[in-house]
Amino acid sequence: MTPGSRTEFGTASSNATAEEDAVRVANQPMMIRVKHVVFGAIGLPVVLLLGAWIGFFNVGASSGHWKVTAWFLQLAMRSAVRTYALAVDAPKTLDRRGLPAAAGHFARGCAICHGAPGELRSPAVLRMLPQPPDLALTVGDWTDAQLFRIVKHGIRFTGMPAWPARDRDDEVWAMVAFLRELPKLNPNEFRALAFNGSDATSSDRQPATPDVLSDCMRCHGGDGEGRGDAVPVLAGQKEAYLLASLQAYAKGDRTSGFMALPVTGVDPADLAALARYFAAQPSVSADRDQVSAEVINKGQQIAEAGIPERNVPACSGCHLGSNKNQVYPRLNGQHAAYLERQLKLFRSEDRGGTPFWHIMATAAQRLTDDDIRAVSAYFSRRAEGPR
Amino acid sequence: MSANAGLLVGFAFWFLASSWVAAEEAGHRQAKVVEPPIEPATSAAPQSSNPTASQDPPGIGLSLFLSNGCGACHTIRGTEARGTIGPDLSYVGSRSAIGAGVLPNTEEAIARFVARPDLFKPGVKMPAFDMLPQTEIQTIARYLKALQ
Ligand code: HEC
Ligand code: HEC
Ligand code: HEC
Repeated sequence: MTPGSRTEFGTASSNATAEEDAVRVANQPMMIRVKHVVFGAIGLPVVLLLGAWIGFFNVGASSGHWKVTAWFLQLAMRSAVRTYALAVDAPKTLDRRGLPAAAGHFARGCAICHGAPGELRSPAVLRMLPQPPDLALTVGDWTDAQLFRIVKHGIRFTGMPAWPARDRDDEVWAMVAFLRELPKLNPNEFRALAFNGSDATSSDRQPATPDVLSDCMRCHGGDGEGRGDAVPVLAGQKEAYLLASLQAYAKGDRTSGFMALPVTGVDPADLAALARYFAAQPSVSADRDQVSAEVINKGQQIAEAGIPERNVPACSGCHLGSNKNQVYPRLNGQHAAYLERQLKLFRSEDRGGTPFWHIMATAAQRLTDDDIRAVSAYFSRRAEGPR
Repeated sequence: MSANAGLLVGFAFWFLASSWVAAEEAGHRQAKVVEPPIEPATSAAPQSSNPTASQDPPGIGLSLFLSNGCGACHTIRGTEARGTIGPDLSYVGSRSAIGAGVLPNTEEAIARFVARPDLFKPGVKMPAFDMLPQTEIQTIARYLKALQ
């Protein structure tokens, strides 16, 4: 600024004092508004922080939320689920093959909070805030995609947990299919689906099997046949493979929400006993879907000779014959849907497993969906050879 | 204000520390990657140079080769190994080099290749078998070297 301009400014201002005063008065409400905003921006957080620090806000759950808080939390929760569910790609029809596994998981992982047909909830859970709703009454409020979103990610600030395994959307969809079924189930139907009457069979077991066995039977069946196509047959599987797989689930090297719960906290010695028990069950043949002979032949071709032009090795080199590594699983008589799922998980590198898993991932990388369907169908109907 | 500054400094510290740890880990991994196949291999080498030291029961090399699934990709004439994805190994012991020419054809080199082929041949189609016990890898290598 030059001195000249300063003098100019000075004279101008002395001339206009009255005018300025008038302007200041006119601006008064404006000033007050700014003051409010400043107070709101700085003062309110300070007051809130102070209130929180003093302990003004009651975090007790006994008296419930204020009406306005409850309204706001519900609004925020429902809107968020609605918005985030837009990104979920829901299948047109839900795959019901995983119902028994999902029911089994529900009985142990969800019913404790949400209740189940014919199951009384603990009074402790009923005093949670918010109270976990009876899902039979509320699932109708949600679309499949929204249920998927809730079950996969859980709900913050409420106690509703996320799915125990990442990258297992197939399991979450199985649970959504079960939730759709839930309102139609009476107590007996629910018990049949979720428990498979496993409580009753515990008496005729060999004495050396651990108590957790009855838990396994809910999904795998008393003789290890695998209830529903999504639960693998364990009967007659190699013992070393079963044990290595159980250890992989327990360590988190193989992820499955369905299996994470049953193996947590089980004594390592019991895992060995469980592997021994199921390996000793006589092998069963899985129920068979109708598949054309052409597809089966293609599957046999892949199993016995691989697809050399696409670098797919012959599966028989590792999976057939009694002279193979004991950690390489048998596939004969396994549920086709289960085999397909595992191959797809290997292909997308979402299936870990025993220390040998990556050699299988290498083999699966080069399979197309059609190859997977064919080879799974072939193995599922291959009779068990001599052990 | 000072709390903010503290936070900033904390962050900077954490960032430095974590990148240092990451670098450290990467270094370790690198070191680990090159190491393991060499060590046990050398300790076993004198054993194999001794002509009477092949105490392997007859056929154990082939049976390990087959049981671990090598036959799914490789052929060895006269055995049930009939894979065609990988090279034919019927006379691998008499080749001048292995692993696309990057390794000398010794028992030790074969063992190292079987454990981690990706270290010697980038983009290799064969998976690593370093989860097998070293002794089994040695036995397989000894068997392959003897295929003349
Ligand atoms: C620790 C207790 C707890 C467990 C275990 C639990 N939930 Fe929840 N869940 C809740 C609570 C609390 C809410 C209520 C959230 C709300 O109202 O904002 C909820 C909400 C839900 C909802 C939305 C229902 C609605 O209409 O608001 C679904 C669906 C759901 N849970 C499914 C499941 C499934 C499936 C499982 C088992 C995998 C499960 N939950 C396990 C506590 C639990
Ligand atoms: C809630 C249902 C459920 C329960 C309970 C359950 N399983 Fe499973 N199990 C499954 C499902 C589903 C899979 C396939 C998981 C996957 O995709 O990895 C599986 C996989 C397995 C496998 C791997 C099989 C293979 O071929 O790779 C073993 C072994 C196993 N379960 C043993 C057990 C044992 C032992 C118990 C009891 C401690 C048990 N399971 C309890 C549902 C269950
Ligand atoms: C080089 C050996 C090898 C070859 C070749 C191979 N596999 Fe495997 N496969 C394995 C091993 C090892 C596992 C166990 C992985 C684990 O759980 O750690 C396995 C696991 C599987 C499983 C999961 C079984 C279960 O119970 O969960 C399926 C399915 C499978 N293989 C299918 C195939 C098919 C189909 C082919 C042929 C295209 C094939 N495999 C070729 C080694 C092989």
